[in-house]
Amino acid sequence: MTNKYYEFFCPVKVVAGKAALEHIPYELTSLGAQRPMIITDKGVRAAGLLEPVVTACEESELDIVSIYDDVPPDSSTAVVRDIAGIYRAEKCDSIIAVGGGSAIDTAKAVNILVSEGGDDIAAYAGAGVIKHPLKPFFVVPTTAGTGSEVTAVAVIADTEKSVKLPFTSSFLLPNAAIIDPRMTLTLPPHITAATAMDALTHATEAFTCMAKNPLSDAYATAAVKKISDNLLRVMDNPKDADGRLELAQASTMAGIAFSNSMVGLVHSLGHATGAICHLPHGLCMSLYMPYVLEYNLETIRQPLGELLLYLDGPEAYAATPANRRAEAAIAAIRRMRDALYKKCKLPRTLKETGQVDESQLDAIAALALDDGSIMFNPREATLEDVKAVLQKAWA
Amino acid sequence: MLASRMQPMALHARRLYVNLMFQVMGNALQAISEVDGKVQDEAKALPDGFLFEMMVMPNGPSLVIEHKGQGRFHYHGSSAPRAVDLSIQFKHIAHAFLVLSFQEKTSVAFANDRMIVDGDIGYAVRMTRVLNRLEAFILPRLVAQRAVKEYPSNLHLPEKIMSASRIYLKVASQFVETARA
Ligand SMILES: [Fe+2]
Repeated sequence: MTNKYYEFFCPVKVVAGKAALEHIPYELTSLGAQRPMIITDKGVRAAGLLEPVVTACEESELDIVSIYDDVPPDSSTAVVRDIAGIYRAEKCDSIIAVGGGSAIDTAKAVNILVSEGGDDIAAYAGAGVIKHPLKPFFVVPTTAGTGSEVTAVAVIADTEKSVKLPFTSSFLLPNAAIIDPRMTLTLPPHITAATAMDALTHATEAFTCMAKNPLSDAYATAAVKKISDNLLRVMDNPKDADGRLELAQASTMAGIAFSNSMVGLVHSLGHATGAICHLPHGLCMSLYMPYVLEYNLETIRQPLGELLLYLDGPEAYAATPANRRAEAAIAAIRRMRDALYKKCKLPRTLKETGQVDESQLDAIAALALDDGSIMFNPREATLEDVKAVLQKAWA
Repeated sequence: MLASRMQPMALHARRLYVNLMFQVMGNALQAISEVDGKVQDEAKALPDGFLFEMMVMPNGPSLVIEHKGQGRFHYHGSSAPRAVDLSIQFKHIAHAFLVLSFQEKTSVAFANDRMIVDGDIGYAVRMTRVLNRLEAFILPRLVAQRAVKEYPSNLHLPEKIMSASRIYLKVASQFVETARA
């Protein structure tokens, strides 16, 4: 018998497809909720994405009691406290997050405060502190990338102490994720590209890192196939609602995969680069992915080779000898990056970003080495290894 | 207890083994932090007085070490003088045994959800690297390869033999001291 063991958990109801938003009233009322609060940001409101959500609810006689639309890109404990105050004053009984990673994380943290009580969200930081189910909570993602609608974590900045507080509990998971193609139809090209590459990285790392398991594998491979089939099509034709829905579903599936099998060095480097150079997360993922896969190559040859089938299709897979498939998979990812560079200038090297100085690489390496996801990278990376990967990614 | 009536000796031996391995590791961590530059560099990033604990849920064997400053660790035995800063907790004694008998690598045990981390993840990553380095030092190469993700390539044989023997010596002498006390 082997030592193989794994855990897999995803209790989120996925409500996806045409007219999915119109299912919100039924789903919310079946949980006994009648006074929802929407948590979102200014960008979502400006893009006109709130109207279809509000209309869908009001047509079914479900009143949105309060709308908070001022979540900043990097949310803080003060914002969470303010929103919880409004929720209580308005006697809300449920939360609908509409937005990307920041709005969703903020809503998760607000849900902790309004369910568990108190004003100090820091008291609930850490793993396993929350012991009870929280208030009914729905997520409507407006980017197709983070997968936050199916992850059990939230990160909120404590601006006074200048630390990032992590919250981990399966009770943070929403009751439902509402995937409606209308919500991603107007995403600008460079965000479409970067967020899809984030999702592709989630799936690829889930499939090649240490905690991979049969269930997360199934979600990861399906997500890779959807992204490689649809991303470039949507880039050429942004109004392609079917393609948009495929990307949004791929993002959720990749989220389910990586929240159960974790990610690796691409994310360690991405988190460090985001913190030091303030580059968007998806951009970092796209940038680092081939260099990290090359670094990991000999440890992940078998699973990476399998991914070629989903990245490049059955003909290419069958025509490539088994011992060349891993390299061919990396080449397929590089081709995708080249195409995205042509279409929207998504950078492929740190130099191409124009926002990183070569003198910052050592600091990025040091920070990446302390990132939690490095623990699940299949190769044990030393400081020298990480520096070498960064040097390759430089230009 | 039902289980202890069924296989009392085997379960008792497993608990004893985990207890003993924690003692060996605690003493070795203290010793290695006095001789190994790499471990010292890792430890220096920890705050002075930082308390690290490894334990078996719910009230099983444990090991507590403190960063005294300048990269030096002090082994506190099985109980902490105050609340610990970072705790790595095995969910069951069976899982601790898998890891401490080198049947499952520490990194694999993390990936397999065998233990939970209570505290700063960055420090947990750092302590995992320290534990890997320790295992590579004190174990014969073949066993160590099973215990750590990658056997460090900069651990050349003379250095290993030299350091390992120094560590064994210190471990042995500290055991004697503990026994006398
Ligand atoms: Fe990501």
